[in-house]
Amino acid sequence: MQKVKYLIIGGGIAGTTAAETIHQNDRAGSIAIVSEEPYPLYSRIMLSKHNFYLPEGENKIWLKTPDWYAKENIGFLLGRTAIGLDANKKIVRLDNGEEVEYEKLLIATGSCARKWIAPGSDKKGVFSLRVLDDAKAIKEKMKTAKKAVAIGGGFISFEICDIARQFDIDMTLILRESYYWEPILDKNEAAVVEGALAASGVKTIKNTEVSEVVGGELVEGVILKNGSRIDCDMIIAGVGVVCALDWLSGSGLKANRGILANEYLETNFPDIWAAGDVAEFDDLILEERVQLGNWLNARQQGRIAGLNMVGEKTPFLLVTSYSTAGFGITISFIGDVRPSTDRTMISRGDPGSKSRARIIIKDGEIVGATLINLIPELHLMSKLIEINFKVSGHENELADHKFDLKTLIQP
Amino acid sequence: MPGKKEYIRNKKGSNISKIIIDRDLCIGAASCVATSPQTYKLDDENKAVVIDDNAASDEELILAAQSCPTKAIIIIDKSGKQIYP
Repeated sequence: MQKVKYLIIGGGIAGTTAAETIHQNDRAGSIAIVSEEPYPLYSRIMLSKHNFYLPEGENKIWLKTPDWYAKENIGFLLGRTAIGLDANKKIVRLDNGEEVEYEKLLIATGSCARKWIAPGSDKKGVFSLRVLDDAKAIKEKMKTAKKAVAIGGGFISFEICDIARQFDIDMTLILRESYYWEPILDKNEAAVVEGALAASGVKTIKNTEVSEVVGGELVEGVILKNGSRIDCDMIIAGVGVVCALDWLSGSGLKANRGILANEYLETNFPDIWAAGDVAEFDDLILEERVQLGNWLNARQQGRIAGLNMVGEKTPFLLVTSYSTAGFGITISFIGDVRPSTDRTMISRGDPGSKSRARIIIKDGEIVGATLINLIPELHLMSKLIEINFKVSGHENELADHKFDLKTLIQP
Repeated sequence: MPGKKEYIRNKKGSNISKIIIDRDLCIGAASCVATSPQTYKLDDENKAVVIDDNAASDEELILAAQSCPTKAIIIIDKSGKQIYP
């Protein structure tokens, strides 16, 4: 049986950053990464960006070379999936029957695209986008596709519609909700996004679902709930993400939607940590347990988990955000953007303009914000979250787009 | 405006002499803006530009470069050596 001091499950940005951090701090400690995908670290964000879909685009995504791992003395088990954990014996079982014994374990397995299921959705030409092989298949299909349907309003649909238009593919977007990205954006923010999509020739159909995918072996179209048919030779479903946690059942590791972890990213087992999209962690700034799927969060959590695995006791303290640019507009998410019933919301921005924001408030403090075309306010909003700014008495200022947020931040 | 844009840094005591942004790689994810808001902003094309090359510490500049999901930020030290990526 292979034995390592540090075992990392997941070869994405969180796991790889953790390995790098551990190696910098414990040169003698043996490290191994188990990665489901048969590739060295690449930038997952690039999979839904124009650059990847250009000829030679695949060359632009790599963040580590295949020989980096050996050079850094990091074991790299490619194309292997962890299928079982014995937290008492400290052993992880892999899909090839191999077992790896660890002293300290990091789980950074990220999340998977939620499978979109409708009658006929197993036909060829139905895609989701999460891993490199998904993106390669989509890129190949886009070379010949004429008409495509995107399912769901979110980052993936927004970015993929933008790319499809670059290929001159006729795009229709199907939303179950009454507006784009309901309820994460407010109606005014969504109107800016919908306007940008429409201006680029993307047709959006709201308040409906696909009741059937039609065709033979290949997709030929979709039938909507109201019986109408849309012809298409490609469907891309972006209906959210889920974490694959089945392999941990029975291990005693506590999990909800993600793996539960404290502010040090420690799980309920003393020698097991969780980082990145899979971690449902105690965020000291937001003062809540939260699961965040963004690049900055994954990268920084990998670093913090790595430090703590070599014996430090450093809490994760960062307000993270993600922005995307497409169709000439930007969309940014900061912190926790869920408009749950325990929060109040303040909309910001000139109603007639294309720059809009919504601020999410919980227990009198800002926990998140969504911004449309407001990158200049990104760091100010992050700062207001970080300093636990007390909203009370400032509601009108936050709602007024002419009010300079900087004045709310003490120098 | 494609290509690479260079920014010279003269900050006293700093080991960094130059920040280079590869505009072809930049995707406007704004991780650099989030990490070092005094250094970066996004321009009208939603590409990162340097607004103040001397504002941040070396450590913050490296962190901001490392945070970029497309390695679009290149950091050069005083001896002309590329120190990131």
